[in-house]
Amino acid sequence: MIETQHLSKLYSRGLYALRDLSLTVNRGEFVFLTGPSGAGKSTFLRLLLVQEKPSEGDILVNGHNLATLSRRDIQEYRRGIGFIFQDFKLIPTRTVFENVAFVAQVLGVPPAQQKRKAFQVLKWVGLQHRMNAYPHDLSGGEQQRIAIARALASDPVLLLADEPTGNLDPDLSLEIMNLLREINSGGTTVLVATHDRELIRLVGRRTITLDAGKVVEVA
Amino acid sequence: MRAIDYALREAWASLGRNRAASAFAIAAIALAMIVLGALLLVTWNVERLLAEWSSATEFSVFLRDEATSEERGAIEALIGESGVVEAQQYVSKADALTRFRREFAELASLTEGFDDNPFPASVEARIRPEAEADGRAEALVRRVAALPGVADVRYDREWLARVASGLAAVRGAGFALALVMALAAAVTVATVVRLGLYGRRDELEVMQLVGSPIAFIRGPFVAEGVLQGGIAALLALGLLWLGSAAVAGWWGAELAVVLEGGSLQFLPPRLCGALVAGGMAVGGTGGFAASRHAV
Repeated sequence: MIETQHLSKLYSRGLYALRDLSLTVNRGEFVFLTGPSGAGKSTFLRLLLVQEKPSEGDILVNGHNLATLSRRDIQEYRRGIGFIFQDFKLIPTRTVFENVAFVAQVLGVPPAQQKRKAFQVLKWVGLQHRMNAYPHDLSGGEQQRIAIARALASDPVLLLADEPTGNLDPDLSLEIMNLLREINSGGTTVLVATHDRELIRLVGRRTITLDAGKVVEVA
Repeated sequence: MRAIDYALREAWASLGRNRAASAFAIAAIALAMIVLGALLLVTWNVERLLAEWSSATEFSVFLRDEATSEERGAIEALIGESGVVEAQQYVSKADALTRFRREFAELASLTEGFDDNPFPASVEARIRPEAEADGRAEALVRRVAALPGVADVRYDREWLARVASGLAAVRGAGFALALVMALAAAVTVATVVRLGLYGRRDELEVMQLVGSPIAFIRGPFVAEGVLQGGIAALLALGLLWLGSAAVAGWWGAELAVVLEGGSLQFLPPRLCGALVAGGMAVGGTGGFAASRHAV
């Protein structure tokens, strides 16, 4: 699913965020990406979301070479990727239901289909009863479950999560991880960037450790 | 179609969310549209009257008081046989005085104390439109002016040409002013739309990350500008209509005298439509410029 070869990301003043990174994530795998702050985890996720382009090397995702995608190809590629952020990125002026239906709406999906899908994923994360609430009415755990529901609304083949439990207590963190495991069991490849070693130990999946932009351990 | 529907609904919602800023942008466009509309209103009315007057152009040959009946006969013969005029009429000194007293009733008392009638006799001729266009009327006027017994010839065409030329200058200056104001309005719209855009950064980021088409991302901002422009143009038209109705109400009688029986008319539907389209174009341009920051 994900393959990088000698991938580097160089910022100005000669600072490497990633350096000569070669790794593989197989289709249907659940992988943790860990390391200290500044290790390059978020940069790697930004490259996977094509928010940035690599300075050197190749990054292949689901057959797409991300370094060479055109603007239109990037749109097409992103439609197959789900994402979850630490700060949820929910739209405060929209209800829970609207937040989830928003993805299908801005992809031009017919309204009836948008609603059906939104209700389906909300039910899946167990928050269909909060569909008319606004994000600020929800707890952190609920907000992250809504963000997961939104990520699932486009039926992604790859789900990227950047510190998804960073704002949550240990119990809620585990609850979110269980949801991600369930998503993975349905065949979706899941890549979670986190520095929470305890959570990684509890979930027990393959872990790639980065430090100073390099892979230092695969366990 | 879904992109347009989405853009319009989001734009409408954004107008509601940012009422104060949107009102400011609408006011800026409305101001530009009022200037442009007022200019159109004046020039269109003047052009309409000029066209009416041009189609009935006359010249008047004023006779010297000492002109003989032979001289007058020669003048009338030259005019009549030229094939340039549709009709001619001799206006005696007495007729001229009577006409003045009738048309300017409030000044009639001034003529009571005259020892002698100061109004000259004249021959008035209505020119054929084709003779006006091909220059024969002009040539005839020159020949008549050279005849004995003629004090002066007033050819309406000359002042019509001067009015038309003045109108062109007013139109040019007015359009330049309206263009500057429209540009300022477009910049205001762009600023207001951009402010709204910053408030929706997370939403835009999500849209980009899910692979939303550009039309869905930029469309609402362009539509917001178009809506602001359309509302502003309708507002400007409403105010212009009220203004022209007020002018007609307050100075209708005076205007009728100046316009020789004509009246001030409001812009025809095609110009109203053009003004609304112009407002929408100005707003849309501002919205489009701002939407570049959304991607």
